[in-house]
Amino acid sequence: MKLIKRKLRLAVIAISLLLVLLIVYGAYSIGISGNRWFSSSVNTSLREVRKDVIPGRIYDRNGLQIAGNDTQGNRVYHQDEATRRSLVHALGLKSGLVKNAVETFMSYLLYAYDAGYFARLSAAFSGVMRHGYDLRLSLTSGLSRYIYEQFPPGKSGAVIVMNYRTGETLSLNSFPTFDPARPAGVASDPEKPYINNATQWRSAPGSTFKVITLAAALKHLPDAMSKTYTCTGAFEVGDITITDAGMAVHGDITLEKALTVSCNIVFAKLALELGDEKLKQTAQDFGIDDHLLFSDLVVENSRYPATNRTAREVAWTGPGQSALLMTPIHMAMIASAIANDGVMMEPKVLMQAVDAGRTGKAQMTPAVYASPLSVSEADVIAQAMRKVVQSGTATRAAVPGLQICGKTGSAQVDGQKLTNAWFIGFIDQKTLPYAVCVVVNDAGEGSRQAAPLAGKIFDYLNRHK
Amino acid sequence: MSSTDKRRNHWLTLPGMLFFFSAFLLLGLKDMDWQSFAMAVAVPLAFFVITVVLPVRLPADKMLLCVVNFLCGLGVLTLYRLNPQRGIDQAINYGVGIIGMIACLLVVRYWHRLKWLLPMIVAVSLLLMALPLLIGSVRNGAKAWVSLLGVSFQPSEIVKVAMLLSMAYLLSRRLIVPALAFAGACLGLLFLQRDLGTALIYYAIALILVYVSTGSLSFLALGTLGAGAAAVVGYQLNTYVQNRVSIWQNPWNDPYGISYQVVQSLVAMVNAGPWGSGLGLGKASIIPEVETDFIFAAVFHEFGLVFGICVILMFLLIFLRGVGIAQRARTRFHTLLALGCSALIAVQAFVIIGGNINLIPLTGVTLPFLSYGGTSMVSSLCIMGLLQGVANANQRGLEEDQMIAILGEDR
Repeated sequence: MKLIKRKLRLAVIAISLLLVLLIVYGAYSIGISGNRWFSSSVNTSLREVRKDVIPGRIYDRNGLQIAGNDTQGNRVYHQDEATRRSLVHALGLKSGLVKNAVETFMSYLLYAYDAGYFARLSAAFSGVMRHGYDLRLSLTSGLSRYIYEQFPPGKSGAVIVMNYRTGETLSLNSFPTFDPARPAGVASDPEKPYINNATQWRSAPGSTFKVITLAAALKHLPDAMSKTYTCTGAFEVGDITITDAGMAVHGDITLEKALTVSCNIVFAKLALELGDEKLKQTAQDFGIDDHLLFSDLVVENSRYPATNRTAREVAWTGPGQSALLMTPIHMAMIASAIANDGVMMEPKVLMQAVDAGRTGKAQMTPAVYASPLSVSEADVIAQAMRKVVQSGTATRAAVPGLQICGKTGSAQVDGQKLTNAWFIGFIDQKTLPYAVCVVVNDAGEGSRQAAPLAGKIFDYLNRHK
Repeated sequence: MSSTDKRRNHWLTLPGMLFFFSAFLLLGLKDMDWQSFAMAVAVPLAFFVITVVLPVRLPADKMLLCVVNFLCGLGVLTLYRLNPQRGIDQAINYGVGIIGMIACLLVVRYWHRLKWLLPMIVAVSLLLMALPLLIGSVRNGAKAWVSLLGVSFQPSEIVKVAMLLSMAYLLSRRLIVPALAFAGACLGLLFLQRDLGTALIYYAIALILVYVSTGSLSFLALGTLGAGAAAVVGYQLNTYVQNRVSIWQNPWNDPYGISYQVVQSLVAMVNAGPWGSGLGLGKASIIPEVETDFIFAAVFHEFGLVFGICVILMFLLIFLRGVGIAQRARTRFHTLLALGCSALIAVQAFVIIGGNINLIPLTGVTLPFLSYGGTSMVSSLCIMGLLQGVANANQRGLEEDQMIAILGEDR
């Protein structure tokens, strides 16, 4: 008898834990993915509630109305077509054509789904339409429209502007775009203008990735910034030869100089010196390979190539090629982390939600996503990026009177004639805490095709502060 | 031992009655439906009779009675709200189940006079388990149902009661080989019926009972390994299992196709929020099989996250209460029986709620006390009857002790 009762304990603990696990897992999965499940098109309950509730109006960060309702209860967007086109990927459509955009992802607030039992009961009895909550977003419609007008016509790509101290996104532009007032035929357009290239598209980031290779060097090589590397104009790894743009020969240079002139050979050598594991570790510190499920946004996960790679593949990762895949918004977050003393903020879109009585229902609170760099490491990288704008490949992003730091990239993509032009950078000033990522696909060099647009954006931010 | 004190009622009785009274009243007011008003009187009354009047004649664990009957009533309420006819049917099942519960309590009480029936119980059990293979019909990929004389039922549910009783008895007599042979035969038949969810539950219970009665860790390890191997073999051989596993891995791959059920269950739960959509205002009926496999999602949907957690905690409470009864039991047979009964209910609740929240692949077992279904309701309440039988024996044992203490050894 005693033996039996002692043996009971293991069975009791095991089964009790199973039941507790149900609670823990259920609460955890609802907490992490609840909003995605809720806003998915499978949610017929959401479709139903849309019939009974007038959705809230949407305002930009300056209080300008960018989405409202007409007298019949249909959604109407801003009267200016360029503004509509510049915001459509962030706002989305009621139909859910643009995935995980405000109109669907924030339906919980727009349709006041958390309204109390009695509010629902009285609406069910009386048949009066309820009102959803009004949203104020962090987006600036003026800046979004400006970017839309300045982006090279006919090109695809993305532009993200975010406040690196708080994570608020000021602009989330994607190209090609479309007019939400005329959505007919968009779903079948072969160019797929409804895909948000800022968050859902990923590709090799080219030399913009060198800031991460540099970060890995700072973490793992004690004398990284003092020693020199040799660039002879050609570097043979395995069966290929890595060269630099314009067949340049840089000679003996420091890593700072190598970043300034964007030397592929030095960064390939650096990647081999560090080894795949250490480089991957640093990349993962920056959130690469993470599932980026934020409270306001769902971002396709960026990817570091799989393990067990050849020396050639590892070498090419240093300058941001190989099988690396990055989303533009993630590159903006990486620039933000360097700007923000090594602390990466979670990107935010929603500033505030209020009900009809102006009572607050949701409020933006800045959230730290990761801390991939120490303050001194972030400072060293920022200094190097400052040189890139002062005397390197990103001089076209410079704005007189502003402390601009940046890095260009020209990513080679199979089957494309021209490279994808990338730029990441930020203003290193307390009063203008903004980071930018610009991608122009199939356009040429980042220094010529992406950096100038970034310069214009920095200038705009300075003029409109 | 206050819960088995004959004079005092359990404090849970009144809140339980109020809950069902107001819930059915609300449903009645919403649709001005007289049947709901009748239920608003009938269900609390039944709750009162079972938790207050019944224990006067048959000493039982009152807290256990309260929690179990609250869950049964919640099942009737949820089903009534989804489909009034189903609710009425379930209320009848509930009534039959209560009779089964009392019968099982008495079986445990008079087991010393009934144990000669054991070979017959085993034989009838195996015959019942073989029935679906001979004349059964397929539901949801499992051939586990039988129609006899116009009544459709699931033999594996009824055999659960017999298995608990016979395994506990055989193991208490250290007849390990016959116990294993019986469990093995049941498992084999369940595998042939492809009722893998039920097989999992039988397996877990047999494993626990054998481990506790023998204390052999190596048996436990071997048994767990065997279960793993069986799962792998089952996965390789059965495309139905492969489907369920792929749904489990990522239900969002095909939300309108094979994983529609699970996805709708998840969506119903997030639609609920912390306090639920409100009784009568939810839309859980779009989940296929909501009345049986997904009753938990329906309860969660209308009553909310907090209540959903409470339902899980109620199952934990039933389990721990049952373990307490096992701890106080005076014979090996009673300990093993009480443990088996409480473990079976807990494991079954885990398997189906885990499927509802996509913690584990979905298997079509019922949620004890809540799911629609006569066989399931009756067998769950019968199992509670066995458990109450042990509680009853404990109580009488205690009374005897007191008597001896008063009268002295020369009684």
